[in-house]
Amino acid sequence: MEEKAKLSVEAEQSDKATILIVTGRVDGSSVGILESAVQEQINAGNKTLVFDFKDLSYISSAGLRALLIAARLTQKEGGKALFCALADHIAEIFEISGFNEILDIRATRADALGAV
Amino acid sequence: MGKSPTQVLVVDDEEDLELLVRQKFRRRIRDGDLKFLFAHNGKEALEVLEEHPDVYLVLSDINMPVMDGLTLLSQLADGEQDIQAVIVSAYGDMKNIRTAMNRGAFDFLTKPIDFNDLEATIEKGLKHVQALQSALETRDRLVAVKQELDMARDVQMSLQPKEIPDSETHDIKAVILPAREVGGDLYDFFYIDESRIALVIADVSGKGVPAALFTTVTRALLRATSSKDYSTPAECLTRVNELLCESNPSCIFITLFFGVLDIRNGELHYSNAGHNPPRLLQADSQIEVVPQTKNIVLGIQPGHTYNNDQIQLRPGDTLFLYTDGITEAENLQDEEFTESRLDEKLAGLAGASAERVATEIVDAVQEFVGDAPQSDDITCVVARFRPDPS
Repeated sequence: MEEKAKLSVEAEQSDKATILIVTGRVDGSSVGILESAVQEQINAGNKTLVFDFKDLSYISSAGLRALLIAARLTQKEGGKALFCALADHIAEIFEISGFNEILDIRATRADALGAV
Repeated sequence: MGKSPTQVLVVDDEEDLELLVRQKFRRRIRDGDLKFLFAHNGKEALEVLEEHPDVYLVLSDINMPVMDGLTLLSQLADGEQDIQAVIVSAYGDMKNIRTAMNRGAFDFLTKPIDFNDLEATIEKGLKHVQALQSALETRDRLVAVKQELDMARDVQMSLQPKEIPDSETHDIKAVILPAREVGGDLYDFFYIDESRIALVIADVSGKGVPAALFTTVTRALLRATSSKDYSTPAECLTRVNELLCESNPSCIFITLFFGVLDIRNGELHYSNAGHNPPRLLQADSQIEVVPQTKNIVLGIQPGHTYNNDQIQLRPGDTLFLYTDGITEAENLQDEEFTESRLDEKLAGLAGASAERVATEIVDAVQEFVGDAPQSDDITCVVARFRPDPS
């Protein structure tokens, strides 16, 4: 009966950061998956996170809030959070809400890893 | 200590069951762990139960004068209390035992009674009763929580503004279709002075009681800051943002459009804190997106200075403020209503009254969504400027 998983978060380790590949929709009903993925990395001591959004199709305000919390959590641990590869319509959400001003957004994953 | 003993009612017209129980359970009775009550027929049993509503387990013989055990079972099943009954019957009396089980008996014992069996059956019965009790308590708590949430939603809805009466210069109408859960959207309108009307639409991140509280606080702050020493929308938002940021550990934020329409000349001064831009529906059916200067959502960036913008409404122009509950409303095929559907529908409503625009857009969204569940509040505020009624 359960609908197909609309969000998955896959972690990849690089020598500089943990890359979280976020695929699908982040909204009120799926945001918990993203939150626990972030918490898991923080608990494991990975405090520099790069969110790869190339396969992110939608993000709601609940999702933006989770990103903000991720940025604050990593900062508190002395690390940081970067966000990259936003599709145009996702970039527009970041722009309208002003989140592009408060989150560190980079064009590509390579750019993000370069800024770590 | 202080825990009252679990009570069990034993119903039998002969003395032997009572004697056995008193004898075999004497230690647990003395320790205050168990307490037994006794009745000699079904009728007496019902009287005892009425006096002791905290008895949930009954051990009853079948053959008794006045009222037999099977009738007692039926009476218990009809009663309001959830009482579990263990029936005691002669060995091999399968007919009565079956009848008893069919009438809802929890278990049965056969005579002559084996003490170990009796003790195990009573233990099992008591465990069952406890599980039932705790399930009921959980259910009651959930019902209470749900009632409180419903109340929170009612309070929130009651805080929506009073209607502004239509006038020769303007008419304003808002519609909100709340999703099932308390939360989400906020709209407001009020006079700043006799010639200027504040128009507000907002959407808070997340749902539930924290979101509802945040919304309510935002509304109050905005009203307060714009009633006293009002200067510009941006200055109000800068102050409200400052106050919201002061204590917001859970990073809740709110996207909010704050416009002030001057009904003398149609000037709209506004500041948009990260909300989706409203539409300007012109008298000639042209639709413009109300442009916006960069601003940030409210509540998370202390010290941010908000920007003002300004547009001009001409006679017959209508301002349409909305939340993404409209454009992102989904039908059963997972398609969204989208901005293009919104614009298309709006274009057909040029010059119409605010009431008609609001109603028709919301109707169109509902028709589009069909039987799909509503996951977000659907909200719009419509203001028509018409200084020249002729």
